[in-house]
Amino acid sequence: MQADMADIVGIQGLLGSGSIWYNILGIIVYAVIVMVLLSVFGYTFGWIERKIIARAQYRHGPTYVGKYGFLQNMADLIKLLSKREIRLAQGDNFMVRISVPLMLSLSVFILLLLPFSQSLQATNLGLGLLLVFVTIAFFPMFVFLTGFSTGNKFGDISAQRSVLMLLSYELPMIIVIVTIALATGSYNIQGIVAAQANRWFALVMPLGFIVMFVAMLAEFERPPFDLREADSELIAGWLTDISAPYYALVLFLDYTRMFLGSMIISLLFLGGWLGPSFLPGIAWMLIKATLVALFVIVIRATMFRMRIDRVLHLGWLVLIPLSLINLLITYIVLLWIL
Amino acid sequence: MAITRINIGPVHPSTHGVLRLVVDLDGDMIERVETHIGFLHRGVEKLVETRMYMQSPAYMEKLDYVAPLSYDEAYVAVVEKALGIEVKERAQYARVILLELQRIASHLLWLGTMCNDLGQMFTVFMWSFKDRDMVLKLLEEASGNRMFYVNVRLGGLQRELPPDFEAQTLEVMDYMEKRTAEYERYIERNPVFMERMKGVGVLSSKDAKDLGVTGPVLRASGVEYDVRKNNPYYVYENLHFSMKSQEKGDNFSRYRVRIMEIKESIRLIREAFGRMPASGDMAGMPIRLRSPEPVNKVSKLSRELPRGECLMYMVADPQKPYRLSIRSPSFINLAALSHIAKGQRLADLFAILGSLDLVMGCVDR
Repeated sequence: MQADMADIVGIQGLLGSGSIWYNILGIIVYAVIVMVLLSVFGYTFGWIERKIIARAQYRHGPTYVGKYGFLQNMADLIKLLSKREIRLAQGDNFMVRISVPLMLSLSVFILLLLPFSQSLQATNLGLGLLLVFVTIAFFPMFVFLTGFSTGNKFGDISAQRSVLMLLSYELPMIIVIVTIALATGSYNIQGIVAAQANRWFALVMPLGFIVMFVAMLAEFERPPFDLREADSELIAGWLTDISAPYYALVLFLDYTRMFLGSMIISLLFLGGWLGPSFLPGIAWMLIKATLVALFVIVIRATMFRMRIDRVLHLGWLVLIPLSLINLLITYIVLLWIL
Repeated sequence: MAITRINIGPVHPSTHGVLRLVVDLDGDMIERVETHIGFLHRGVEKLVETRMYMQSPAYMEKLDYVAPLSYDEAYVAVVEKALGIEVKERAQYARVILLELQRIASHLLWLGTMCNDLGQMFTVFMWSFKDRDMVLKLLEEASGNRMFYVNVRLGGLQRELPPDFEAQTLEVMDYMEKRTAEYERYIERNPVFMERMKGVGVLSSKDAKDLGVTGPVLRASGVEYDVRKNNPYYVYENLHFSMKSQEKGDNFSRYRVRIMEIKESIRLIREAFGRMPASGDMAGMPIRLRSPEPVNKVSKLSRELPRGECLMYMVADPQKPYRLSIRSPSFINLAALSHIAKGQRLADLFAILGSLDLVMGCVDR
C-alpha cells in the first residue's frame, strides 16, 4: 500500500523515497523539463512539417526568419499572441477560454506518464497505459465542448463529428491495448517496453499496429481524419470562432499531440528506447518518435480528407473487427503455442 | 430530426469566389440548397453597350478569369460576324491553338481546386499550378500578357506568333502529356479520392438535358454534345477532333471528361501545328476607334468554352453594340447544383460544387 501511494504521488525513480515535499518539488522540476521538451519538439515538428509539405508541393516553405526559416513559427506565434481576443456575443466565453489551455495541460500530463527511457519517467504507474488512454479520450471531449460553446453552427457540426469519432475510434484502441496487456501481463509501460526486448510488437501483432496507428491519426485529428477542422467544408470547424491567442495554442497543441502520438506508437510497438547500445535509450526513443511523426506528415501532404460516414465505416466495420482478430490471434498464440 | 440551416459563403474557403449557399441539413444529409448569386455582378453586358466594339474585349476577359482568352475570342467572333469580317486561315489555326492552350490551363486549375475541395493539403493544387504556369508562359509569348491577353483582333490576332513558338509549345505539350498520366496515376490510385468521387453527385442524362447544363458536366452524363463537334467553328472540322464523354454522370465522370479533354487538347494542338499553313499572315485589324459598318443586325454564335457552351447574342448598331447578351455556361451549370446536391452529404456538397467547375465572374457577369 505504501509503495502504491508513492507510485501515485511521487517519482521514486527520480529522487528516491524522501519526504513528500521532495517528491512534490521533484514532480514540478520534472514537469518543467517535460514542458520544455514538449515545446522544443512541438516547435521543431511544426517547422519540419512546413518544410516537408512545402517540398511535396514544389515550394520552399519558410526561408526568411532565422536559418532555413526555423524561427518562422515563432514569429507567427508572436503575431497570433499579440492579437486581440474576440469575445463571442452568443457563446460560452468561459468554456472557450479554459478548454484549449486544459487540452495543452492534458498533453503535458500524458507526457508525465510516458517514459523516455528506463530511468527517465515521472511516475511509473502500474496502470500507466490505461491512464494514458483515459486522458487521450478527453481530447475529443474538449473539442466537443469548445465547438459547442462557440455557438457557431460550423462548430456544432464539428462537435458532433468529434463525438462520433470518439465513439468509433476509442473502441479499437482499447481492444489493442487489452491485447498488449494480455501479451505482456501488465498495463505498465516499462513492462511493455521490456517485453519487446526480443522483437517489437509491430512485428508480433502487425494488425494491432495498423489499427493503433490509424486510430491515433483519427484521435489526434491528423489528415485524412481532420474532419473536425475540415477547412474546405466547415471553414475551421470548432476553431471557427476562436480568437488568435487561443488559436496559437491550438496550433502548438497539434504538434505536441503529434509528438505524443508518435511517442505512444513507438513505446507500444517499436520497442521504445530499446536499440543498439551505441546510443543512449532516450536518443532511440526520440529517433523512433521522429520517424513516426515524419510518416504522419507525409500522409498529411498526400491524402485526401475522408467523409464522416466513411470514417465511421472504417472505425466500426474495419478497425474493430481487425482489432478483435488481433486479440484472438494473440490469445491463441499465448494459450497454445507459447 | 430537426433541420439545421447553415449559411455557406459568400466568403468561404471552397465556394470558389463569392457564392453564397443556404443549406438545410437533416443530420448530415442535404435537404435543400439555395444558391444566392450576384456578389460579383458588374453589369458587363450593359457596359459593353456604351463602348466601341473593340474597346470591350478587355471586359470580356474579366468575366472568366480562369479562361479569359475563350471569352475574348467569343466576343470578337460575334463582332466579326456582325461586321462581316472573315478570319484569315492561318489566324484560325493560331486561334484554335491558343484556345486549346487556354482550355488546358483552365482544366489544370480545376484539377487543383477540385483536390483542394476534397481536403487535400494544396499538393495537387501546387503541382497543377506549376504546370498551368508553363501554359500561361506560352500564352504570354504569344500575346505579351500572362493573364489577360486581349490579343484577338478583328480578322486575326494582334500579332504573329513568335518564331520559336511551335517548338516551345510542342515541348511543353510533351511534358504535359507525361504529367497528365502522372496525375491520373496518383489521383486514381488514392482510395479516398475514388471513394469520394465515384457514385457521388449523380446527374442523369435526362436531368442534364432538362437543366440545360453544358460542357464537361453534360458530357459526363452521357450526352454527346460539344460545340466543336456538333456546330464546328474555325478549323475544328479539319482537325480530327474526338468528343470525350462518360456514362455515369457522377463526380468521377466529370473528372475523367476533363482529364481526357486535356489529352485531346494536347493532341489537337499538335495536329493544328502540323496543318497550319506556312505562308500567309494572321494579323488582324489594328484597334481603331472607327470600325466598319455592321452587315448583320442580329448575330449570334456559340463557342465551347472550358466550362461549357457560351452563346453570344448581339444586336449591332453602327460603332457600338445595341445589346449584347451572354449565355454563360457557369450560370446554367450552377443551377444544377441544388438538384444534384439534394440527398447528398454535407462534405459532398463541396465535391459536387468543385466538380461543376464554376467561376463566379462568369456566373454573375
